[in-house]
Amino acid sequence: MTKIWKETGFVKNDPWVIETEETKATESQKPLLPLDALIARAEESNDVGLGVLIKPADDVRKLEPYLDRLEIVAVAFPAFNDGRAFSHASLLRQRLGYANELRAVGDVLIDQVPLMLRVGIDSFAVTNETALKRLAENRLPGIPHHYQPTVRTADDPGSYSWRRVSRTIS
Amino acid sequence: MYRYDEFDHAFVAERVAQFRDQVERRLSGELSEDAFKPLRLMNGVYLQLHAYMLRIAIPYGTLNSKQMRMLAHVARTYDRGYGHFTTRQNLQFNWPKLSDMPNVLAELASVEMHAIQTSGNCIRNVTADHFAGAAADEVADPRPYAEILRQWSSVHPEFSFLPRKFKIAVTGAERDRAAIQVHDIGLHLKKNDKGEIGFAVYVGGGQGRTPMVAKLIREFLPEEDLLSYTTAVMRVYNLHGRRDNKYKARIKILVHETGAEELARQVEVEFAQLRDTELKLPEADVAAISAYFAPPALAERAEGWESLARWKKADPDFARWVQQNVQPHKNPDYGMVTISLKPIGGIPGDATDSQMDAVADIAEEYALDEIRVSHEQNLILPHVALADLEPVYRALVAHGLATANAGLITDIIACPGLDYCALANARSIPVAQEISSRFGSPERQEEIGELKIKISGCINACGHHHVGHIGLLGVEKKGAELYQITLGGSGDEHTSIGEIIGRGFEPNKVTDAIETIVDTYLGLRLDKSETFLAAYRRVGPQPFKDALYGGSTAEAA
Repeated sequence: MTKIWKETGFVKNDPWVIETEETKATESQKPLLPLDALIARAEESNDVGLGVLIKPADDVRKLEPYLDRLEIVAVAFPAFNDGRAFSHASLLRQRLGYANELRAVGDVLIDQVPLMLRVGIDSFAVTNETALKRLAENRLPGIPHHYQPTVRTADDPGSYSWRRVSRTIS
Repeated sequence: MYRYDEFDHAFVAERVAQFRDQVERRLSGELSEDAFKPLRLMNGVYLQLHAYMLRIAIPYGTLNSKQMRMLAHVARTYDRGYGHFTTRQNLQFNWPKLSDMPNVLAELASVEMHAIQTSGNCIRNVTADHFAGAAADEVADPRPYAEILRQWSSVHPEFSFLPRKFKIAVTGAERDRAAIQVHDIGLHLKKNDKGEIGFAVYVGGGQGRTPMVAKLIREFLPEEDLLSYTTAVMRVYNLHGRRDNKYKARIKILVHETGAEELARQVEVEFAQLRDTELKLPEADVAAISAYFAPPALAERAEGWESLARWKKADPDFARWVQQNVQPHKNPDYGMVTISLKPIGGIPGDATDSQMDAVADIAEEYALDEIRVSHEQNLILPHVALADLEPVYRALVAHGLATANAGLITDIIACPGLDYCALANARSIPVAQEISSRFGSPERQEEIGELKIKISGCINACGHHHVGHIGLLGVEKKGAELYQITLGGSGDEHTSIGEIIGRGFEPNKVTDAIETIVDTYLGLRLDKSETFLAAYRRVGPQPFKDALYGGSTAEAA
């Protein structure tokens, strides 16, 4: 059972669906469109509040003209060891300045969640049991001292320029 | 050397706690071995043939006596009384228990050490010239930059799940002792015409099954752009490096398939966006990190010249050791001492707990408390007064650490091979031992001169056979071990990949084959000053092929 988690807790009635042959978005739901479909939809309409699913090989920079029409971007982790979505998230937040919801989908494991938070992912579609349990208990296995500036707000400890401390990842 | 501040201590303690939690989940069965694997690898824990192996980081190969004593303590308490220094300037313990690992890491943290990113598909321990800060031919000390890169790459959120492992090496001298051209990124410190410090950037070198020499993608990168440019390279690699085949996943394949020019262009495009961000290095930070590596105050010890001459005359063994294992320091009253971990007939790179303690004592008493690990699996005392060489030598002799063979034929690099490693096809250690014994006579070694033999037990090339003057690669053919020989490799500023000379040799024939190669060289060299590598580059493989295989056409095994 997949649940959506944010730092404020689990989210009920999340509308976003990754459509497959068998599963289509119902009337009360909304699809996370593949990148090409999103671009086509945005070009053909004035729709806003759209959602898109970025797959690992996609070029996230193609979203630039449509950012203000997106309510959510989902980045895919097809396997825990495919780290491309970390770069997609960094580019979306830092290069493109995307500010709405950014969700991790796929193989979302508890040990990766703190890293995902740091690159600006703020929403998590979680299936793994350990991850669900730890998130419910609010026990993130993160490290609050960082050697890199990232998009996530963190304190400057007044040390070297690359160091940060976050109060919220622990 | 660098010392942890409060921030570093807190970080490492947090990392130990995080790993302890992961180990507990594994031991309780909550994590399967499959799920645990990437987590343990990120912290240097491998599952080998017989046991777990723990690889401890020795950043750019620099450590002090207290740290060395801790390694001895860990060897004694948690392992079988020895450790293995590796070609990446790290140390491996072969027999620790998984349940002990968190405690080992906590003990290491107490002396500012860790095992972070010594494995896994992330940025590995950054390596540097083992003579850094002491060598006479240095433009600048590479270690401050290696330290900045070490910090920046530690638990990097964007670059912890790369297509494959990623190795960075830095050198500050024209003579490349860090083998930067066989690294994923090689940085060569240099000064521009205005006298400013920067880096020539090489990308895409590597060994393994597809050896490649790195390509120069930037002539001069200003110092302040180190992190932004490296981030650009990492991002291009993370997004575009191949993930469909682990044997094609290193950046060298991306460079090869994309073309160095196009890759350089992509990096520049990314770099242009990153250059003026918070990744830019402030001068003050570089200065503060560099201050940790300030050259030590070396007292004038001119009396050493006279003593040294006297000692050498009195003891030919000592004279030979000085000749072979002591190199000129930038201060003429001092020398850089190589402590050979290659005793004749021994296991390359291994040291016992008592040897580690002895090195710590010697370093403390005579060498300003500083020790290095070289990528050639030896230890270095970078600052020893000539006036102290004799007592240092005596102390080393007492612990079996004074083999006078640095750079000679018995100074062999070998991977752990099938005796330990789950990947190996062949046993590297016994082959190294037999070659070492065959050529062990000091006179014979000296006559042969500089000759680097490097042995890998499988195609992953941990023993760096591709860049050995003579390289040996263990392969498995029809269920039997076979050694393929390559000649003419080199890992210095004139890097070259060795060429396969012909069909392979059985383990019991390989030493004879090496002897044939060496005798061929001795017969054809112009004079004693022409090294094996120089001679090979002059005459090519044919004379060696003829000697090894006679008239028959030699086919690669």
